[in-house]
Amino acid sequence: MTQVNVLPEIVLANPNMQGPSVPMAMRGLLLEATPPEPGLALLDEPQEWSSFSLPEKNNVGCWRSSVVFEGMHCAACAITLEDALRAVPGVKSVQISGASHRGQIVWSSDLTRPSQWMQAVERQGYKALPANDAHTHARRRAQARRMVWRWSVAAMCMMQVMMYATPAYLTQPGDISQEAMHLLRWASWVLSLPVLFFSCAPFFSQAWRDVRERRISMDLPVALGMVVTFVVSTLGTFEPEGPFGAEVFFDSFTMFVFFLLTGRWLELRMRDRTAGALEAVLNRLPDHVRKRQPDGSWLPLSIRRLQMGDVIKVLPGEAFAGDGLVLSGQSQVDEALLTGESRPLAREVGDRVIAGSHNLSGTLHVKIEQMGAATRYAQIVALMESASISKPAMAQLVDRWAKPFLVAVMLAALASAIYAWPTDPAHAVMVAVAVLIVTCPCALSLATPAAMLATAGALARSGVLVRRLNALQNLAHIDTVIFDKTGTLTCDALAVAHIHTREDVSAAQALDWAGSLARHSLHPVSRALWVEARRRAEAAGRLEALEALDAQALSEQAGQGVQGLLVRPGHVHRTLRLGSAAFCEAPVHAGDLLQVNLADEFGWLASFELVEAVRPEAAAVMRALSEMGLSLKVLSGDSPSAVAKVARTVGLVDAQGGCSPRQKLQALQALQAQGHQVAMVGDGLNDGPVLAGADVSFALGQAVPLAQAKSDFVLMGGRLDALVSTLQQGRRTMRIVKQNLVWSAVYNAACIPLALLGYLPAWAAGLGMALSSLLVVLNALRLSQAIPGVQPAQVAQLNGD
Amino acid sequence: MDILYLLIPLSVALVFFVLAGLWWAIDRGQFEDIEAEGERILRED
Repeated sequence: MTQVNVLPEIVLANPNMQGPSVPMAMRGLLLEATPPEPGLALLDEPQEWSSFSLPEKNNVGCWRSSVVFEGMHCAACAITLEDALRAVPGVKSVQISGASHRGQIVWSSDLTRPSQWMQAVERQGYKALPANDAHTHARRRAQARRMVWRWSVAAMCMMQVMMYATPAYLTQPGDISQEAMHLLRWASWVLSLPVLFFSCAPFFSQAWRDVRERRISMDLPVALGMVVTFVVSTLGTFEPEGPFGAEVFFDSFTMFVFFLLTGRWLELRMRDRTAGALEAVLNRLPDHVRKRQPDGSWLPLSIRRLQMGDVIKVLPGEAFAGDGLVLSGQSQVDEALLTGESRPLAREVGDRVIAGSHNLSGTLHVKIEQMGAATRYAQIVALMESASISKPAMAQLVDRWAKPFLVAVMLAALASAIYAWPTDPAHAVMVAVAVLIVTCPCALSLATPAAMLATAGALARSGVLVRRLNALQNLAHIDTVIFDKTGTLTCDALAVAHIHTREDVSAAQALDWAGSLARHSLHPVSRALWVEARRRAEAAGRLEALEALDAQALSEQAGQGVQGLLVRPGHVHRTLRLGSAAFCEAPVHAGDLLQVNLADEFGWLASFELVEAVRPEAAAVMRALSEMGLSLKVLSGDSPSAVAKVARTVGLVDAQGGCSPRQKLQALQALQAQGHQVAMVGDGLNDGPVLAGADVSFALGQAVPLAQAKSDFVLMGGRLDALVSTLQQGRRTMRIVKQNLVWSAVYNAACIPLALLGYLPAWAAGLGMALSSLLVVLNALRLSQAIPGVQPAQVAQLNGD
Repeated sequence: MDILYLLIPLSVALVFFVLAGLWWAIDRGQFEDIEAEGERILRED
């Protein structure tokens, strides 16, 4: 038997509800009148500007502000927002990226203030948050630009050097005059200079760092090969009679620089694209608070200037800025994201509230006891990070094998040079260079990332964001998948399961009346009622009659429900109430479903029982995963009976409810201890440590930013079927990676002896290196084709059953 | 074949010229959001 407090509870059952509609839903059932945020005015204080803005250099009085937008979906949203912002007087220029949900706004402090253009954004139904990490973001963007620039220089110079090298490959000795040959070499040398001094710089600085710290990495032989090739070629250009002969290798040189940079650049791009989600976490805590003054008035204050012991006022719908003690007021709070508790918790004088949780129904005065890193919120974040550090990285394995290999390569190069030096110094150096070039771990180092990047690209196009490339490695070995329930197996929306009515009221009538109140709200319960009312009315062909029913004079009782007057011509006016059982004097029905009630001035009319709607594709996805040989399990913080019910619906046997985040992590580690490779699918902050501890983690698209940030994959469309295709793609990726590794190993095994014995000239070594890399890249590109898997037609079919 | 003594240095200069153009484009962030520019043309105004 469950007594329900209808309104806030649903918000809790749906930790996904983090879109722009949330503050609205939390404020209550009334849609009208969203008051301008009082805290926006705080951002108008000049000392706050520097936290998210930089003064424009060439334009005195102008600031460039970085903003994160909430509620953006696509490039069209970006255009709407740009137009709205440009219409604000004083806004000089606007750039918004639809991909990263970030924008740069240049505005004049003489003409406008941040609050003014932020309100313009809110009027469009979005929310602009000052990006407090603006400076790191700007730094990363500069880094990305420099990388593109290095890569472009290498690409341009490589193409031109190839042109100059072509005659040397195509002609017989004597076809070209010595002078013309020399001219071509000189031109190649000039164009190799920017490649050496600019494009190669990251390799040199990394190699130098490694040398100083007595480490060895792939960059060291690469840098060594670059320098030796360039020096030998330079000597060949300007001193053809010298000890090293007239041979030049500028084409090999520019080419392998270009290939290596391509790999690095692709990796950087992936990283930057996904980093945005992580930064959005910073915006979970409120930006401003109202602090009590000695005279009892409330002063708006930036959270950065809040101190321990301050008393703040927290209105319904707001988040708590720190852990604290309730001094006055009575409310319910949503701690679902922090504790996994999916029901609203009552908080009164003397109770404690935690940072990052939401106040739902009443105004509270809170004395701040913990701030910043000491808060529970910060601790959960820290737990998550330590869990993610302990992840076994594939990179370590590669390094372990790479190190002895690289040492051996350099020793072999040196030995061959020393061996051949007494007879022919030029031959000796060229043998060493050939060894360095031919073993340039280019193909080897591209083998894995190229395949993974191709897969990441293909996954991104089908709506799956890869946060950590290494996770693709683990994906192929997964044998167990753990699901969270709320928001993972179930959707955000609720559905009406049963309708109980008084004897003389029909279910349709009751729904119509409830709908007349519910239509005014974005609250999940109201939406479920309104959707059901519309669905039934449409089926009966009386949609217009339903649309005409519209309650007036709506008023909300915090935490209880909503009341309104239904006026219909020719009928008696009725005062309707929609809400909790107590509010409507309704009988409580058996069962643990969520119950919302309808009453008029004469008493109870009807009760609606709501269930979390199971995702339509869930059952089919579970079947597909089982067929792939995976064992499936549900771990949830929700009540065991609710979890069992959902698990039964989607066809899962193994379900466990009532788990705290710690218990989930323990269950996960127990499975891992038995040798299972575990994937976790979830959302919500309480899943964070579990997501980080799993071998592979997935978050559904509408999950809170933190869970997104810490999961390896984000299913952007919020559909489970992407899970099946991602796992299949993971297996294909590992196949390709293995092929690539085998190929590069065979290539090296065949070429190193040839080079060591001096049968392989350096140009052939360079060509072999480039071709082996090309082969690896082309093989990897096979993965970037559209992902076979669940096609739209199949989805429709899946949903049908 | 004396023309080579003009053409080859010229081609080197051309590469530097193209690189300067690339630098200009990269520095102004022209390669950062490629999709948005394509969709801008579909705006209604």
